[in-house]
Amino acid sequence: MSTADLFAILRGLPWTVALTLGAFLAGAVLGVPLVAARQSRILPVRFVAMIFIQIVRGIPPILWLFIIFFGLGMSVFPISPFNAAIAGLGLIAAANMAEIYRGALASIHFGQWEASLALNLGRWSTLTDVVAPQAFRVALPSAASYLIGLMKETAVASTIGVSELAFQGNQLSQLTFRGLEVFALVGMFYILLSLPVAWLSRVADSYLQAKVAR
Amino acid sequence: MDGAVLHLGSGKPTMTEDDALAAKGAPSEKGQARKPLIKLDKLSKHYGNHTVLDGIDLEVMPGEVLAIIGPSGSGKSTLLRCINYLEPPDGGHVTIGDISLNAAAAAGRSELSTLRRSVGMVFQSFNLFPHMTVLRNVSLAQERALGRSRKNADERSMQLLSRVGLADKAEQFPGRCSGGQQQRIAIARALALDPDVMLFDEPTSALDPELGLEVLAVMRELAETGMTMIVVTHEMSFAENVSDTVMIMADGKIIEKGPSQDVMRNPQQERTKRFLRAVHDR
Ligand SMILES: Nc1ncnc2c1ncn2[C@@H]1O[C@H](COP(=O)(O)OP(=O)(O)OP(=O)(O)O)[C@@H](O)[C@H]1O
Ligand SMILES: [Mg+2]
Repeated sequence: MSTADLFAILRGLPWTVALTLGAFLAGAVLGVPLVAARQSRILPVRFVAMIFIQIVRGIPPILWLFIIFFGLGMSVFPISPFNAAIAGLGLIAAANMAEIYRGALASIHFGQWEASLALNLGRWSTLTDVVAPQAFRVALPSAASYLIGLMKETAVASTIGVSELAFQGNQLSQLTFRGLEVFALVGMFYILLSLPVAWLSRVADSYLQAKVAR
Repeated sequence: MDGAVLHLGSGKPTMTEDDALAAKGAPSEKGQARKPLIKLDKLSKHYGNHTVLDGIDLEVMPGEVLAIIGPSGSGKSTLLRCINYLEPPDGGHVTIGDISLNAAAAAGRSELSTLRRSVGMVFQSFNLFPHMTVLRNVSLAQERALGRSRKNADERSMQLLSRVGLADKAEQFPGRCSGGQQQRIAIARALALDPDVMLFDEPTSALDPELGLEVLAVMRELAETGMTMIVVTHEMSFAENVSDTVMIMADGKIIEKGPSQDVMRNPQQERTKRFLRAVHDR
């Protein structure tokens, strides 16, 4: 394979990274109000959040992209393939992150809430000083492995024409008829992308563990 | 026990209740001193149709140390938790100092905050914040609940940590401390908010006996400074020798209550006798 072919595939890399980070960031941020709603004391709010999460997670990602890009995009408001992909993947990430946060919150011993109440910390301080830092620590490994999963999932964006890694690979394989080599190379890029995430997650985890040492 | 200057002697503390009050800076006039600091009227709590607290009437004087003992499931923890509304009672009144809450009415957030401000609580499982240093554990609520500056809070924390013999642990994380040390930190953390009364729910039950002793020593010293304390405990010698009053609970009711030596040595109720005998045989 020529260097030109390699560069053709490399052109997909920034799009894959942008999709991954964009969707993950959207999910990590939107997951917070979503888990708050999911844990709300108000039953209807809790119920709506639960249904929402179920629906978002229950439909395949590729279908979400079709719904947003071909469905909404063609009839309601025009949307670029990239934005449609960010919206769809971000939505899915929000639902998944909300579930990761929920698991992390559940792992916090009720004694921490009780002590916070008894110490009169108030709700805001209880969340930001006591609960969130501990939940963050618990959520970190699952969030990191979800980030890697999401990175691979961004390949579905190729179906609506975002020229990310898989899209570029597909184009190139059709041009060169050397699918095996091309896709092996594309696969390598995905693996290379996942390495720093896995590494960072391990480093952060062992740092936090050493610090708290429970 | 790493630098703690406390030790567990025997016999009653030498202070009288009035000395204790003077030590606290409370008014020593007899008339005023006789007003209970804590008053529970017909306090009740149900889980479903299970009655856990069955109309508890109780008065605790300023400076008094009350030990609550009784069989498992008799409602001791629930009683403590109702006093600071960790568990809202569903009938009766809780009065602490000038604050009075009626269980029948929904308590507002500011009322609860005022009530809890005057009550410190120590849990069986310590419940320290594992992700903060010992110093931060003791200082946090001073800043958030009392609005103290970081500097003032830390100063006060160091005072209290010295008092429980753990000044050298200030920069450690709680996970690096023994259970006995953790419980002493938890006591310092509760004291840091200058409560009027301290509640202890089996503070030594999760500890090996010798670690329990260092916690009991701190509690004894606290009792001698005149702190009002309500202590749920299985430590019979603490009940007999440190507390002023002992109360026996069973099935959500007070079976017997009186001066500690009387109740422990010469119980009047058949049920109390049986319970104490069972404890001694253990
Ligand atoms: N949140 C709850 N929901 C339902 N039942 C509860 C709850 N908390 C306590 N109970 C019940 O209330 C009763 C009294 O419990 P409590 O914890 O006050 O007893 P205790 O005297 O402290 O016992 P122990 O010596 O075992 O700590 C028990 O029968 C318990 O099962
Ligand atoms: Mg109990």
